[in-house]
Amino acid sequence: MSTTYKRQNPAFYALIAALIMMSLGPIILMLSTSLQLNVDIMSDSSSFFFMPTMKNYETVLCNVLWYTPEHVDYCNPSFARSLGNSLIVALVSTVITLIVGCMAAYALVRFRFMGRGTISMSTLMMRMVPPAVLLVPVFGIWTFQYGLDGTFTGIVLVYVAMNLPFVIWILQSFIIQVPIQLEEAAKMDGASPLQVFFLVVLPVIKPGLAAAAIFTFRIAWNEFLLANALLDRNTRTVPVTIVNSLTEHDIDWGVIMATGMLLAVPPIIFTFLASKQIITGMTAGAVKG
Amino acid sequence: MTCQKNHKQVASVNPMYYVIDNIKSLGGDNVPEIRFDGVSKSYGEIEVLPAFDMKLNDGEFTVLVGPSGCGKSTTLRMLAGLEDLSSGQILFDEKKISHLEPKDRDIAMVFQDYALYPHMNIAQNMSFALKLQKVPKPEIKKKVENVAEILGIHNLLTRKPGELSGGQRQRVAMGRAMVRDSSTFLFDEPLSNLDAKLRAKMRTELAEMRNTLNKNMVYVTHDQVEAMTLGDRIVVMANGLIQQQGSPEELFKSPANKFVAGFIGSPSMNFLDAFIVEESGDLIAKGEGFSLKLNPDMASIINTLSSKDVTLGIRPSCFELSQGNGDGVDEIKLTTVVSEYLGAQSVLVTRCCKQDVLVEVQSASPIPGGQEMTFSVKPEDIMMFDKKSGVRL
Repeated sequence: MSTTYKRQNPAFYALIAALIMMSLGPIILMLSTSLQLNVDIMSDSSSFFFMPTMKNYETVLCNVLWYTPEHVDYCNPSFARSLGNSLIVALVSTVITLIVGCMAAYALVRFRFMGRGTISMSTLMMRMVPPAVLLVPVFGIWTFQYGLDGTFTGIVLVYVAMNLPFVIWILQSFIIQVPIQLEEAAKMDGASPLQVFFLVVLPVIKPGLAAAAIFTFRIAWNEFLLANALLDRNTRTVPVTIVNSLTEHDIDWGVIMATGMLLAVPPIIFTFLASKQIITGMTAGAVKG
Repeated sequence: MTCQKNHKQVASVNPMYYVIDNIKSLGGDNVPEIRFDGVSKSYGEIEVLPAFDMKLNDGEFTVLVGPSGCGKSTTLRMLAGLEDLSSGQILFDEKKISHLEPKDRDIAMVFQDYALYPHMNIAQNMSFALKLQKVPKPEIKKKVENVAEILGIHNLLTRKPGELSGGQRQRVAMGRAMVRDSSTFLFDEPLSNLDAKLRAKMRTELAEMRNTLNKNMVYVTHDQVEAMTLGDRIVVMANGLIQQQGSPEELFKSPANKFVAGFIGSPSMNFLDAFIVEESGDLIAKGEGFSLKLNPDMASIINTLSSKDVTLGIRPSCFELSQGNGDGVDEIKLTTVVSEYLGAQSVLVTRCCKQDVLVEVQSASPIPGGQEMTFSVKPEDIMMFDKKSGVRL
């Protein structure tokens, strides 16, 4: 405990305050801007004193609200649509990545086959390739060979391919920790290999699946580069839509910030739900520890 | 007759009997005889179990015992179907089963480390196998409650394994095997993680189970006390080889070799090197600091020996305190180094001819260490082993 008291140095607190400002500052700025009218945003007076309004949010969600907001002359459906697109793309790619990833990880950990070590290593090597390098070939192949440009299938496939190596790598470390006796006990109890996997191994590595799900979801949710290149106006995800709304004629900061705030909500909910599954000591009581 | 009566009285007190009777009534009489036919196991180049034959009679409690790494667990795992055979066959009666998956062998197994499913509660753990067999739910419930009742874990059914103590977990692991109505039960050192008192209690319960349950039971342990108390038949293994198999009494009274003699019995047998001479018609084994008379019946065996150098084996309990001065031919003089007082008896660690000799003495009060004492040994209590091969003569 004494070491804690020794750290009572003003510089220490200043550093912490600076770090908090750096991480919270942009969010506060975004929140306050999203609650202001454009006149308040553009005025020279302090941006901390304003009349909060929900108008920007109404504008963003105009086509999904049950009423028509008075101030909206033309309802632009692209923001609400892109939120939906983002959800679909992120969820579908997460589910596929997890299903394929956990099976691949299990095979890499438990089965002995030729090239096992190499495959295990190369899953990580794949992570070292920057997405920008993939962009041109993927764009070419997707557009000219398979006609997948502008479709959810195309972007989901890319996200699955991008996230799979890391998910396999994370899940491998979880599966290694599952005592082999558990699987043997299940085998003795009459479980087929698939039953062993789904009824015993998967429930035990639930924390790993949750961690991998959060990771995959966030990557798919935030990704801009490939989404920008591969998606069209109907399938665009939120990051692309926001950037595209920054035109040289008009930048509607209030609406953009409101979209940004809405963009942050699903990952927060998702992370909250998934992290409830991350409990330590999942294998407690399984075997003598 | 009286024995019968006693048995019934016990049954009325001990709930274990009810449930075991229940289990018995559920199971058929199709308990197979298990045969290992030229079974061997190698990991790559390394042969851990050279080819061996073994027959386990139906309904027998067989204990595989031996030091760590002797191959006993591997043998059990091959029987369970968790390890492949490198050669040979395992047969249940005349049916070859070594190519079958574990689930098709009608075997239940209790693991050393319990191996309970951590995400399921106790009831789910115990009913997992039955669920996979698609047994109707009411029947599963009845069976699980039955077994939980006898094992004294019925109040734990809704708990998770992580909330249980080691002893309770071990019971659950046993219960999980018992709810299945298998013909063969395998135990892989099930008691080795329990504390001494609990181990003794569980041992008694297992012994009860053995007496009442007509099932094949194969039990692996490194603890010879468990082997002696539980086994109908004990198979002693060392270095991948079966040293001897037989009833506990056979192994104790007529061990095949020095290893078995030293392994079975507690405290373990003393081995003393000696040279055999014949003096005035008597066979005398002479060693450093002692000379002991041998059983005259051994003369015929000794005459066939090329070398008169042998190893004598004397059980610690065969020493008797003697009033002599240690010069007699049935006496040995020992200096006590440590005296381990156990209550009804003491185990004396004594020194003779530069090696430790254990002596078990019945005495109500502790015996002080450091003193020289004379013990007598009856000629018929002395076993003789070949000095080189360790084979009993």
